[in-house]
Amino acid sequence: MLRIQTLTLSAEPSLGPAGGLPAGSRGEPPDRTLPSGVVERLRSALPPALRARVQSARELARARAEAEREPLATAWRAFDRLLAGGLPRGRLVELHGGRSSGRFSAVLTALAAATGIGEAAALVDLGDGLDPAAAAAAGVDLARLLWLRPEGVRRALAAAEMLIGGGFPLVVVELGSPPLPGGRGAEPAWLRLARAAQAQGTALLVSSPYRVSGTAAGAVLTAGRGRAAWHGEAGGPRLLQGISCRLALAKRRGSGAEAPGVETDAAFALSASPLAPASPAPPPSPARRGRPVPRIAPERPERLLAAAV
Amino acid sequence: MPFPRIACLAVPLFPLAARLRSEPDLVREAVVVVEGNGNAARVIAATRLARDAGVRPGATLPQARALCPKLVARARDEMCERAAQEALLEVAESFSPRVEDTGDGVVFLDLEGTELHFRSLRRSEEPGTSSEDDGSPGTSTADGSSDTATPAGNRESPGTANESPDTWTGWEGFGPSGTELAMGRALAAAADAAGLPARVGIAGSKLAARIAAHSPESPVVVPAGEEAAFLAPLPLGRLAPEADVATTLERWGVWSIGDFARLPKSQVASRLGAIGRELHAAARGLDARPLIAREPPSTFEEGMSLEWPLVSLEPFLFVGRSALERLCQRLESRGLACARLGLALRLEPDGHQERSISLPAPTRDVKTLLALVRLDLEARPPGAPVAGFTFVAQPDRPREAQLSLYGPAALSPDKLATTVARLFALLGPGRVGSPRPAAGHGPERFALVEYSPPPPPPVHRAPRAGRGLLAVRVLRPPIGLEVITGEPRPGGSAGRAAERTPVEVRAVARGAAAKRPKIQGAVKVAAGPWELEEEWWTEEPVGREYWDVELAGGGLYRIFRDRGSGEWYADGIYD
Repeated sequence: MLRIQTLTLSAEPSLGPAGGLPAGSRGEPPDRTLPSGVVERLRSALPPALRARVQSARELARARAEAEREPLATAWRAFDRLLAGGLPRGRLVELHGGRSSGRFSAVLTALAAATGIGEAAALVDLGDGLDPAAAAAAGVDLARLLWLRPEGVRRALAAAEMLIGGGFPLVVVELGSPPLPGGRGAEPAWLRLARAAQAQGTALLVSSPYRVSGTAAGAVLTAGRGRAAWHGEAGGPRLLQGISCRLALAKRRGSGAEAPGVETDAAFALSASPLAPASPAPPPSPARRGRPVPRIAPERPERLLAAAV
Repeated sequence: MPFPRIACLAVPLFPLAARLRSEPDLVREAVVVVEGNGNAARVIAATRLARDAGVRPGATLPQARALCPKLVARARDEMCERAAQEALLEVAESFSPRVEDTGDGVVFLDLEGTELHFRSLRRSEEPGTSSEDDGSPGTSTADGSSDTATPAGNRESPGTANESPDTWTGWEGFGPSGTELAMGRALAAAADAAGLPARVGIAGSKLAARIAAHSPESPVVVPAGEEAAFLAPLPLGRLAPEADVATTLERWGVWSIGDFARLPKSQVASRLGAIGRELHAAARGLDARPLIAREPPSTFEEGMSLEWPLVSLEPFLFVGRSALERLCQRLESRGLACARLGLALRLEPDGHQERSISLPAPTRDVKTLLALVRLDLEARPPGAPVAGFTFVAQPDRPREAQLSLYGPAALSPDKLATTVARLFALLGPGRVGSPRPAAGHGPERFALVEYSPPPPPPVHRAPRAGRGLLAVRVLRPPIGLEVITGEPRPGGSAGRAAERTPVEVRAVARGAAAKRPKIQGAVKVAAGPWELEEEWWTEEPVGREYWDVELAGGGLYRIFRDRGSGEWYADGIYD
């Protein structure tokens, strides 16, 4: 790196438009802005191995800004694959699905990933459904989690906006099960929330039983109906093992993520019980009817189940 | 610094200054502060506009109104004065750790060792500039009328009513130390920023510093060791002797402090006793008692008496906002934040009410504090007109964060505290915090603690692979169910288990029928029972039989039968 800096500094005067002595040595204030094309000419003068490492200040600033906008990885493959690495910062991602579709498990997984790397996270829990012990078992660092229990959608949105303004890198709005107290919320409120997230670079995940955020969502994921996996035969003792569901990307804005319509499988195993048997695979996802959709590799739910039990 | 150096911070017309600090809108008005009731109320301090109209201290309120019809009269307010005195002390404590409170807008501070902080200001300061500012009560003394306007009860300057600054010609001969002059200017500026136009005197003794502080020019610095020469030309009344001692000294023909200081010390002591000895020492520029440093108070207070009792909330919040702003300004000057806000209300005709508002995190955000006060007053109205109020802030250190170069950015502590407090105000108590598991096995139980996230790790780390655990969405409170169980079968324990196996469930409204998730349908698969038993040693033991059921219409639920009542509930959805 030192060699590169030296090379850049020594090359600058000779590549200036006036040539000869640098501006500062003639008693004039040095011109700190390079003329256009200087960086390209410098790159062309360098060996190919070094070209990529020479960057202008503007390019460095852009690269830094992009690094700060790296998605927040959820360590949940289904999410990370569909969203190209995780929850995008500065975007509203809506995950909707019916009962027992694994939506709440996905929320806890995202919270566990964010708090696990030391980020603060906030959960606006409209349904008041969080069990702290279960969340801790799922890997959520409770000390980094701010839990809010609003009583209506309107207050939930207002609270989420405050959290975004407060600088939380991940805000999850969990709207619970229908019927939602207060309805879907006004679309302008969702738009304002999305803009606030964009301004602050906050990853905003909205988990709802049906579509609520309208055009404000940067990406929409649909969780299909979950299928339970049971251990044991009918008529005998049964034991719940987990659920599997299909996750589909219904909408996305921007580049980098998968195209809308892509699906993947996801599975969640019930917390390890001493009676639970070792890693039976959940039943296969039902075959979809109608138009075939592009598929990406499944998440290997049996591995998740094995890890859980 | 070989000699002790003491600075005196004095606010002229203190009752008026304290009142104008609470009501800054009145600064440009003709205002008087009166003491007493009705027509017997007497003016004790007046602004320049009022004095220009002929209003003088001692006049009755009707006389003053006759001279100035637009006169604004305010009663002397102890709460305002107490808060202003505290603010003055805090200004002094920002310069020196040793501060003595003498009340009535006068504060002494020990400057020993503090001159090093102001040495850099010495060159940039030019001595001799007055800190007068038209319109402020302190500046009204520039014409020499400050002493006449000082209330009679002010023990700092009795007997000075007939003196003029012109008689204090000795000041011209003292060359002020540049560093001390800079300190004096900084002190006056800090007091001015706190809303109190104060004058500063610096000397080797408290008496000399106090007299210097009452000079129309501010700051005045008496060089070290020249206190006696500074005091010598002043009349003896500035020593505030007892009446009988003053009479004795008059009989002796002693009229000035210098004359008194030249008398033999032992002869004065033998004739006038201990009082005479102390007076003699003061005349020679020596303090009989050292500066007594005060203990900083544990709370910060701001308040005022209201001109008219308030019955509605909005006017009260309008007045309270300025008090909270002053309070937060004082907290900020000390690097503190409000951890708990107390509100004492004085009610008409003779009631008193105190309330305490707990904050989830220390904050200095006035908007947040005002929102919490509003919520508290709306939830518990005082029930009577409010005639006065005092805000009491319990201070605490605001949270601090260490910035990280390579790790995740920590939340700004100030921003976080403000956000949490605003959320607290929006959602109410018990709805914001960091979750913790509660003791016991009931899944609906939880605990909330103050949100105080640990610092982020110093370097970025990759997220761990998710455990992929199935979560349960807890239903709080549990939803009542009607459950049809299986038919009894012969055959021991298997038959008894089948008898209890749910085959169909339907939600029923028990208690408060709020909007709850609809649970209804035939049971496709049921697993259980798992028994939960706790608190069997109490009068309300908990005994439950848990089942995991999958309904034919979709949905995976955790339901239980309460052993005590035999009723069924759903307390979670696998999701």
